[in-house]
Amino acid sequence: MFRKLYLLYGALVLSSAGFGQYRGWSLDTVNQLKNVPKSVRDNPGSYRSVYSGYHHYTGGK
Amino acid sequence: MSQPVANCPNCGAKIVFRWSSSVQTVCEYCKSILVRTDVDLKKVGQVADLPPDSSPIQISTEGKYGNKAFVVVGRILYGYDQGGWNEWHVMMNDGTSAWLSDAQSEYALSLSSKAVNLPAAAQVHVGQQFTWNNQSYTVSVITPAHYRGVEGELPFQYWDKTDVTFVDLRTESRNFATLDYSDPEPALYLGEFVEFDELNLKNLRSFEGW
Amino acid sequence: MSAGTPPLSGPPKPQARALNCPKCGAAITLHSFGQAVTVVCASCHSILDAKDPNLAILQRFEAATRDVKPLIPLGTRGKLRGTDYELIGFQRRSTQVDGITYYWHEYVLFNPYKGIRYLSEYNGHWNDISICKTLPIADGGGANYLGETYKHFQSADADTDFVLGEFPWQVRVGEKAAVTDYVHPPRVLSGEKLDKEVTWSIGEYMYGREIWESFKLPGDPPAPIGVYENQPSPVTLNVTGMWVAFAAFAVFLLVLMAVFDMRAKKEPVLQETYQYNRAESKAETSFVTDVFELTGHTSTVEVKTFAPVSNHWIYLNYALINQDSGQAWDFGREVSYYSGYDSDGSWTEGKQHDSVVIPSVPPGHYYLRIEPEADPSLPNIPYTVEVIHDVPVFGIYGIAFLALLVPVVIISFRAYTFERSRWSESDHPPMELSSSSGDDE
Repeated sequence: MFRKLYLLYGALVLSSAGFGQYRGWSLDTVNQLKNVPKSVRDNPGSYRSVYSGYHHYTGGK
Repeated sequence: MSQPVANCPNCGAKIVFRWSSSVQTVCEYCKSILVRTDVDLKKVGQVADLPPDSSPIQISTEGKYGNKAFVVVGRILYGYDQGGWNEWHVMMNDGTSAWLSDAQSEYALSLSSKAVNLPAAAQVHVGQQFTWNNQSYTVSVITPAHYRGVEGELPFQYWDKTDVTFVDLRTESRNFATLDYSDPEPALYLGEFVEFDELNLKNLRSFEGW
Repeated sequence: MSAGTPPLSGPPKPQARALNCPKCGAAITLHSFGQAVTVVCASCHSILDAKDPNLAILQRFEAATRDVKPLIPLGTRGKLRGTDYELIGFQRRSTQVDGITYYWHEYVLFNPYKGIRYLSEYNGHWNDISICKTLPIADGGGANYLGETYKHFQSADADTDFVLGEFPWQVRVGEKAAVTDYVHPPRVLSGEKLDKEVTWSIGEYMYGREIWESFKLPGDPPAPIGVYENQPSPVTLNVTGMWVAFAAFAVFLLVLMAVFDMRAKKEPVLQETYQYNRAESKAETSFVTDVFELTGHTSTVEVKTFAPVSNHWIYLNYALINQDSGQAWDFGREVSYYSGYDSDGSWTEGKQHDSVVIPSVPPGHYYLRIEPEADPSLPNIPYTVEVIHDVPVFGIYGIAFLALLVPVVIISFRAYTFERSRWSESDHPPMELSSSSGDDE
């Protein structure tokens, strides 16, 4: 009984992996936005990044 | 198959032989033991009432062994130091006879075997091995038994035997063998253990409450 | 077929026999139609000869404790393997191991056509037992019966402590038999030696709830304790099959990896080196790259950043923007690298390069908007940005592999602990893994 369940489960995992590769999934987290105006090319400063203002101090050991 | 009909020489009751090769039968009415001669029936003895026993099989029980149907026509009741068992004489539908034993509801069917060079009773001991029909049999139990009663049709005369020795031989499968020392010449029976359900028995005895 | 004239005086129709105990006069009924050899008077605990019309007394025993009550009352009928059986006898037996006494119970079942069967119960574990018709072949370590191999589990002496009802053998309280058990779950092959005669029986494990259903008993069956010698393992049987399935899946995963690796274009669409200048940071530092085209189907886009930092960091706010649809992916990446030397030796932290994979980017014309930031102590630094279209993501395979492996490991572990539990009760307990001394029964 466990074996049948596992076979089903494994088939699901493999098809998900294949589907993911096909559709271009990735593991990194990226924010999606819509409606970025074409004017950003002329004025890049007008675009506000979600990450703006990030100041990260990674002091060494 | 024609069923010869005769009359009991003692009480006149109708005697029907289900099996053409019956040598001996018991009159159901007066319990006379009757032997068939060429001409008529001869009374040779009297059988006492059978002791009460628990076998669900009775005379005229029908069943199947493999693809052959059979009907129960007679029996011998044996006793030994730990109890007793029944050897039911059955007639197969091809006219041959076989023995269906019932020992505390353990059933086995065996057929007479024409083997030669069978050992004498004194030469047999537990653990000894024999080979018949390419099968190896090991002696498991040697039982001194005595007959306690007869009923119905039998293929031989069996009215004045008292003590007999039986040798049981077993194998690693359901097959088993029996050496029967009731006659001066030892007789060999080869058979197998069968389950109650495999026999498809009909017309069994009924038990109160079951 | 005509059956001839029915017999006038054949043996009487078998019925239960009612008798009186010769010792105390209590009523005794025999239910087994002549198959019982001994019968016990429940009132005075006399063991009587059931074959003797006068019920000769064979033994009298004192119940050491108060009457032991059978879990299934005598006289109850239940269906086993499609046949009705009546409970006619009960006995309690015991054995001693390391000074501790263990008790179990045996029940005698009767059907006038099928004969006698037995049930045994120990700590809530039940077995359906019958006497072997064919002989097993046994040698110390194992036994063979009807084509199956059984492993030796335990050899012990069994004492009969208490008896009730009818028995098809000469039972006596206090008699001792040498019992050897061989197991092949769910079956157990048991050889019982009494006065030089060995009787073999074969048992099949049953759950308490099956017994309760069979005999329509009220309440609940006693809960099973531990793992019994022939208790079937819900998992053990599956383990090998699952590892085989896992191996097949792993191979398939590799094939998947190879196929998609070949399929991926891994096409570089942008590679530029830019300069970061602190002096310019007061003003707007963001800028846009040239437009590049992503062709083909929706797939991944990898953005790689490289900067020769040394004990500094730079941080890039990225946005991948579709020129036509206005869709954007916004992400920030850090490149930092530190090194030094202390009492433990030289150390490093971080990397001079970074990679990120953006998922499911449709084809079209794109550019990057980049806004760099840097460690205040860093005046200027060049950095290279590379964009590669349609790369395979190996991390997905890693996750899939773990997802496939975890259930198999869990099942294997459960099967392992179950079997350890089983064999810890035997004559061959598994080696102790911890240093604490374990009990071996």
